[in-house]
Amino acid sequence: MRRLNAAEVALSLGVLALGLGVAGVTAGLPSEGGYSGIGPNFIPGVVGAGIILLGAWLSFEAFSGGWRGAAPDDARERGEHDFHAAAFGWITAGLFAHMALIVWAGFVIAGVVLFACIARGFGSVRVARDVALGLVLSLGVFVFFVKLLNVNLPAGWLAPLLGGAGI
Amino acid sequence: MEAFEALMAGFGVALKPINLLWGFIGVTLGTFIGVLPGVGPALTVAMLLPLTAKLDPTGALIMFAGIYYGAMFGGSTTTILLNTPGESASIATALEGNRMAKAGRAGPALATAAIGSFVAGSIATVLLTLLAPVVVDLALKFGPAEYFSLMVFAFITVSAVLGSSTVRGLTSLFIGLFFGLIGIDSQTGQPRFAFGVAELLDGVDVVVLAVGLFAVGEALYVAAYQSRLTETIEKVKGSIMMSAEDWQRSWPAWLRATAIGFPFGTIPAGGAEIPTFLSYTVEKKLSRHPEQFGHGAIEGVAGPEAANNASATGVLVPLLTLGIPTSATAAILLGAFQNYGLQPGPQLFQAQADLVWGLIASLYVGNVILLILNLPLIGIWVKVLRIPKDILYAGILVFATLGAYSLHQSWVDLLTLYVFGLLGFAMRRWDIPVGPAVIGLILGPLAETQFRRALSISQGDATVFFTQPISAAFLATTAALVIVPWVVRRLRRR
Repeated sequence: MRRLNAAEVALSLGVLALGLGVAGVTAGLPSEGGYSGIGPNFIPGVVGAGIILLGAWLSFEAFSGGWRGAAPDDARERGEHDFHAAAFGWITAGLFAHMALIVWAGFVIAGVVLFACIARGFGSVRVARDVALGLVLSLGVFVFFVKLLNVNLPAGWLAPLLGGAGI
Repeated sequence: MEAFEALMAGFGVALKPINLLWGFIGVTLGTFIGVLPGVGPALTVAMLLPLTAKLDPTGALIMFAGIYYGAMFGGSTTTILLNTPGESASIATALEGNRMAKAGRAGPALATAAIGSFVAGSIATVLLTLLAPVVVDLALKFGPAEYFSLMVFAFITVSAVLGSSTVRGLTSLFIGLFFGLIGIDSQTGQPRFAFGVAELLDGVDVVVLAVGLFAVGEALYVAAYQSRLTETIEKVKGSIMMSAEDWQRSWPAWLRATAIGFPFGTIPAGGAEIPTFLSYTVEKKLSRHPEQFGHGAIEGVAGPEAANNASATGVLVPLLTLGIPTSATAAILLGAFQNYGLQPGPQLFQAQADLVWGLIASLYVGNVILLILNLPLIGIWVKVLRIPKDILYAGILVFATLGAYSLHQSWVDLLTLYVFGLLGFAMRRWDIPVGPAVIGLILGPLAETQFRRALSISQGDATVFFTQPISAAFLATTAALVIVPWVVRRLRRR
């Protein structure tokens, strides 16, 4: 018997919890359904029940020898390297910085920070090059979308330079 | 020949200079993005969707047809030169194509893929032209009960029958169905699972889900597990031309593969994975040089590539005539239709004949553009392949976040995008297929509407799904697809 796989157990229980959550919220939805007799709570109930059953099924597999036919747990068997936490962290940090910056610093600056963080996450150490490339790309995209496609994007701090384009 | 006249009118639309231009831009962009390693057709279409926000529907959909085809071809170039199949349908090509490239025959491998794609795509488009009106006539007889049963059939085939695990496929589907429930109920106006968040009331956008799963999830995964590996890109040496022997060995493979690929595309069978492998196996069996398979046999590239393209065209049959997407890419295309308030299906063939037939005609045009564009431009695509991974993924994420942000100009969509990215990471790492979730999101709400309509008509009598013969047949087939393999496995084990 294989050792219990913590990730599989956690994911299985997560699916189960999602199903229970869906069922719980569904219980608060109205059920009157007009001619069909089917209200807005019927299909959510079916989906919630389905997710609970699947969560139970996944849990059963996880506790009885592991998920069937899953990818090997050892990264080397998959031809990959071990989980690189710093890389994962840089991508996450970049996306959250972008989320925070886009509203007040504007699309271009947020884009530069995102670009530099992602490149860093993939192992780049040439920060100046990444910032420069990120600036060219973000600025190009900004001008193209705002001027040519009339899509609104926030100019933020660069509004004076960008000629009041966007918001 | 009603279809013929409609098609000619369609060519009148597709050959308008402005629409030709959109087709041309679509094929070029689709190939460019599709060539990027790690970017499959589904992500290509999702990322380029915001570009068309301000176009008229006909132009936008013609551009999308080009993107769809371009992305398919771009993917095979990457596979041949890099040996990292971006999607499961390219694995068969990787087997022989990359060996050919290693042996210095990258040129003929790319050529047979390009010409084979053209031949298969064109024949498949002819078949689509002939088949679509027949299916439309049939579909006009469908009521809500039939549609619902057909959608159940599609749900089960794309999630439970294929793939490495029934339970994980179904889990993916149900997560997608749950996402589809978020927002305002179309029948009663009741908000569901929105928790008072304005961005959620609009529902989960298919672009955010697809880009989150495919772009953010992929970036997280590749950074975490593959960013410190090195890869080799094969050079395109020598002539790109195919020799007389190459031609002789390629064309029967193209034709056989078309015959295999198209029917598989039209039924909900999980896209191009099965037909490409089937074609590979058939070519290996029939080849006069079976010993070359595994060392770079040209039939092994010609067949799967043609099958891939034929099935990609076949997928458009259920999408256009019934409004049912059978692959993740098709689900995103359906999302593109919905952005314009269009619902593909038999009614669209009547109400918007110009648009639908213009789109079909543009598939013929797109195939030609693909052929004349790609062989001369192979040098450029090879350069695109050389973009280092750090720059590549940084650029992809700038576009990915742009697509999500431009929906409501809100950071909430960016948070949703990251959450879907985490989900995509987990699904990739623990072998849960992503496609069923995307299909569930887009098809789920349609299925719910048909279900409630059917019960409205029958005054709440649920037996309607089993007493209507067509509906009952769909449900019986679905049940058989689930039960028969299970029974066979049990019997074999004894």
